[in-house]
Amino acid sequence: MFAFVGFSLRRAWLGFWRNGLMSLAATATMVLMLVLLSGLIILLHGLDATLNYVQQEVQVVAYLKDGATPQDTAGLVTSLQGMAQVTHVESVSKDKALQDFLARHPDEAEVINSLSTNPLPASLQINLRDPSDYLDVATYLKTQPAVDRVLNIKQTVDQMVTVIGILRAGGTAILVAVGLIVLFIIVNTIRLAVVSRADEIEIMRLVGASDAFIRWPFIFEGAFVGLLGAGVTIVLLLIGQGQITDFLSGYFQVLPVEAAVTVGQNLILIVLGTGVGIGVLGSYLSVRSYLIR
Amino acid sequence: MPSSRATSPPAWPCCEGGAKPDRAIGASLVAIVSAATSGSPSSPIRRPGATNGRGETAEKPADSVPGRIVLAMQGVTKSYPNGRVALRGVDLTIPEGDFVFLVGPSGAGKSTVIKLLIRDELPTKGAVLLDGRDLGRLKRREVPKIRRKIGVVFQDFKLLPNKTVRDNVGFALEVTGARRSVIVPAVDRVLRVVGLTGQADQLPSQLSGGEQQRTAIARALVHNPRLFIADEPTGNLDPMISWEIIQLLLRINDLGVTVLMATHNAEVVTAVRKRVVALENGRIVRDQVGAAYHRED
Repeated sequence: MFAFVGFSLRRAWLGFWRNGLMSLAATATMVLMLVLLSGLIILLHGLDATLNYVQQEVQVVAYLKDGATPQDTAGLVTSLQGMAQVTHVESVSKDKALQDFLARHPDEAEVINSLSTNPLPASLQINLRDPSDYLDVATYLKTQPAVDRVLNIKQTVDQMVTVIGILRAGGTAILVAVGLIVLFIIVNTIRLAVVSRADEIEIMRLVGASDAFIRWPFIFEGAFVGLLGAGVTIVLLLIGQGQITDFLSGYFQVLPVEAAVTVGQNLILIVLGTGVGIGVLGSYLSVRSYLIR
Repeated sequence: MPSSRATSPPAWPCCEGGAKPDRAIGASLVAIVSAATSGSPSSPIRRPGATNGRGETAEKPADSVPGRIVLAMQGVTKSYPNGRVALRGVDLTIPEGDFVFLVGPSGAGKSTVIKLLIRDELPTKGAVLLDGRDLGRLKRREVPKIRRKIGVVFQDFKLLPNKTVRDNVGFALEVTGARRSVIVPAVDRVLRVVGLTGQADQLPSQLSGGEQQRTAIARALVHNPRLFIADEPTGNLDPMISWEIIQLLLRINDLGVTVLMATHNAEVVTAVRKRVVALENGRIVRDQVGAAYHRED
């Protein structure tokens, strides 16, 4: 067993260096494809973060009757916070509503000041975990005596849920399609490298090498190409990290800071896994066609 | 098909004059052969026709069993998917220690026979038995083990260009998972047999054609095959070097290894007078011991 692994690793190492041009082509293809894949993943991650943010911004606004007591309001807030669909509840008093209004519309100050009473109602602003839960929360609010009316944002929410769904599905479809193309191109390049050594495989078969002895050196070599390709890609990504972060935070200003960090760590793992995985798969498939005889 | 060449005496320039073609095989092999055989090849060179009338199994070493069947083809027919029928009902038995020339025009089926023997192809009908095992009934994982019982050399040598002679030969054992402690002495031994000890650390590109073929022969011999197959081993070599290779194969045969050699080389076949199996249109048309390349009536 030890001799077998040693043999396979040694053969893989020699195979890589002695077929320099083919190894270079395979590694370069690997790097290009992994960079393409990483770029796509970063973009989609940005899109996802934006969509999440937009979703969180969906608020159900319930206007309270002027007669609602602070106890009524506090009870309502507590029961809303107990709901699974709700992430955050903010209570806006009549005075706060007036201040906000004046801050937004300073020109209207005269009109407001001419009134004897504050015309703006107190309200509850409720953030949802998922905008499609809008109806549950709205229905509940309408049954509460302290609630005057619930702002109807059903249509807006429905449209947004549809658009977000399409964007998510589209992003995933593009990722899968590009992933398959990347797989195909890399497998093909590795196949070329294996085909260029058909003689070697034939000699091994003729002298009675078992399938494992023929296959594993190539699989290790594929893994090595994947590892090297992933390494170069990660170095490139680290070099470009500053620009990527600037780009992302410039483009998606709303992006939470943690999102950028997770994409970095996950991306390194994704690039490594994809590189080694495709390298191994490519070698396995390429050698297989020589062994099935 | 009688031919004028068959009746004219074979002329080997090398063999009249002296020891030149055997210079490399020379001394080391004489010692090995002498030790392994009861015969005493006092001259490293067999003169043409010297084997005439000699018993085929006279010089076998004690550990081989004359008469035991190494290879049997029973009613073998092989047709390819394109409809071409390469072999039609071929029956062939090769006992241990035999030396067989497989002759015939191009397309007669020689290559197909060899492909069947190394289980590169399977017969359409009939059976190929090596050491009693039906090659058509082997499990996939048994195929490599059967291939280790066969040593094959080809016209184009099939050496790995970036490995030295020693590594090319050792490779055949390395890929079977053998330990270094086994590989090193085994390689040294076969390199002595083929007379390449001095070239052990050279690359194939630094060798002559004959030396490259001898490297291939050493590689084919290194796991002590039951059957040694040579497919046109002299096809790329000039007559003098061809003769060296034939001498080497005869000595390997003397060591007890069964040899099957497919060839077009009429002079060699006629000179050494061994068993000749002639194929034509996929059928065996002649199977004769001590024969010439062409039919002698």
